[in-house]
Amino acid sequence: MYVIEVEDLYFSYDGKTNVLEGVSFKVGEGEFVGVVGPNGAGKTTLFKLLLSFLKPLRGSVKLFGKDIRHFREWERIGYVPQRLGVEQNFPATVKELLSLVADRERAKEIAEYLHIDFYIDQQFLKLSGGQQQLILLGMALASNPQLLLLDEPTAGLDIHAQMHITHILRELSSNEGKTVFMISHDIGLVLKNADKVLCLNRNVYYYGEPEGSVEVIEELFGISRGVRNGTP
Amino acid sequence: MELLSYDFVQRGILTGLMVGISSALAGVFLILRRMAFLGAGLSHAAFGGIALSMVLGVQPFLFTAFFTLLVGNLVQLVTSHRRVPGDAAIALVFSGGVALAVLILGWVKGFGEYIFGYLFGNILMVTREELLFTSLSFLIVLIFFSLSYKRLVLLSFSEELAKLKGTNIALMNHLLISVSSLVIVLAIKAVGIILASSMIVIPSLTALLIGRSFLSSVLISVGVSVLSVLMGIVLAFYYDLPPSGATVGAMILLFSLAFLKKSLSS
Repeated sequence: MYVIEVEDLYFSYDGKTNVLEGVSFKVGEGEFVGVVGPNGAGKTTLFKLLLSFLKPLRGSVKLFGKDIRHFREWERIGYVPQRLGVEQNFPATVKELLSLVADRERAKEIAEYLHIDFYIDQQFLKLSGGQQQLILLGMALASNPQLLLLDEPTAGLDIHAQMHITHILRELSSNEGKTVFMISHDIGLVLKNADKVLCLNRNVYYYGEPEGSVEVIEELFGISRGVRNGTP
Repeated sequence: MELLSYDFVQRGILTGLMVGISSALAGVFLILRRMAFLGAGLSHAAFGGIALSMVLGVQPFLFTAFFTLLVGNLVQLVTSHRRVPGDAAIALVFSGGVALAVLILGWVKGFGEYIFGYLFGNILMVTREELLFTSLSFLIVLIFFSLSYKRLVLLSFSEELAKLKGTNIALMNHLLISVSSLVIVLAIKAVGIILASSMIVIPSLTALLIGRSFLSSVLISVGVSVLSVLMGIVLAFYYDLPPSGATVGAMILLFSLAFLKKSLSS
């Protein structure tokens, strides 16, 4: 059984221009898949369709073998959104945020696992970008999900924070068998860590091993060198 | 204390405490949901409701509560599909409510003095009937925020995460608007139509400035609100001032102190 099955998926916001056209792919258990593509390629839209925030124009989406229209086991999915759009004076602490999605015992476990326990009483908005991403990852892990959907979890972070988060994701995939499906603009990071790369630009340009994706990525982003070194 | 020996003061204090707590609770979530201006919009929409209740000869508070609740939910409905921006919809009901009241007052003569009481409120003139209405509304507000606290905090943090955790966003927004409409009608009795939104905005804004956690912000908001209402009543009683102006003046004073503290510490 596949964790994600997408078949001939179409979507349009205005009914005229398709954001996604005939997208098909399957993701197996424990796989780490990196989704890359230029701005406006439909990556975040694809996530919203997987989370049932949007309804497909055509085609099907299955999660854990079940059609998305009938899927109700959302605790099996952990999600890290791209933007929070939270008010600048939002006052909640890390502990308060974790308590919204996990009981005390589980919140403690997550805090220890992610090493965020020493700033658990601090306000979320006063933390660095990397620390905030760890909290969001912690919230996503609250229900011990089998599938993690992450929309740009390393965007805007310094290299240490990027490496730290990627290391945790790699560990969750390899050691705990969680399926990781991650959008990233950092092609080097995806090529280095993902088991598979999904190159998206309205439809799937490439889906497979990272090694085979380099030429497609170069073509997709209009670049000619440097991808292999992670510096496009 | 001499002050507490008067029935009307006791009713005023009780009403003030309940209105203060209700508006402070609603205010924190409205500000964090970027709906701070809703208080001003709904209180002015309520003006139309009050004028209409006078013409129809029905109980003004009950009628205005239903009227405001209806208007609030209509605002939520037209803005939820993003066809009309939220602030524009609120501006529409703001002016619409005032226009309705002006039309009615121009048409039916003799309500001028009566309406003055609603424009500026007077917490020291609360009737037993109004106290009962306030108590019931206060109970509804408390039950709603006790049951929905965690959902509302998550919703203020991320709508997408709240949705994934099973929160019906549209329903929760309608419930928050409905409860806030009720709170606005309560605040009108305390400080009047013109100043009602200050009960929603100022204590919450003060709390969000200095609160170190969500819970502490909610508690500070309640504290500022209750303290301001009590200061307003005491000042009004001893110095013969309008209670609404004294209450909002106390809120602004507490906000200024919090702002100063924040500025000095950062």
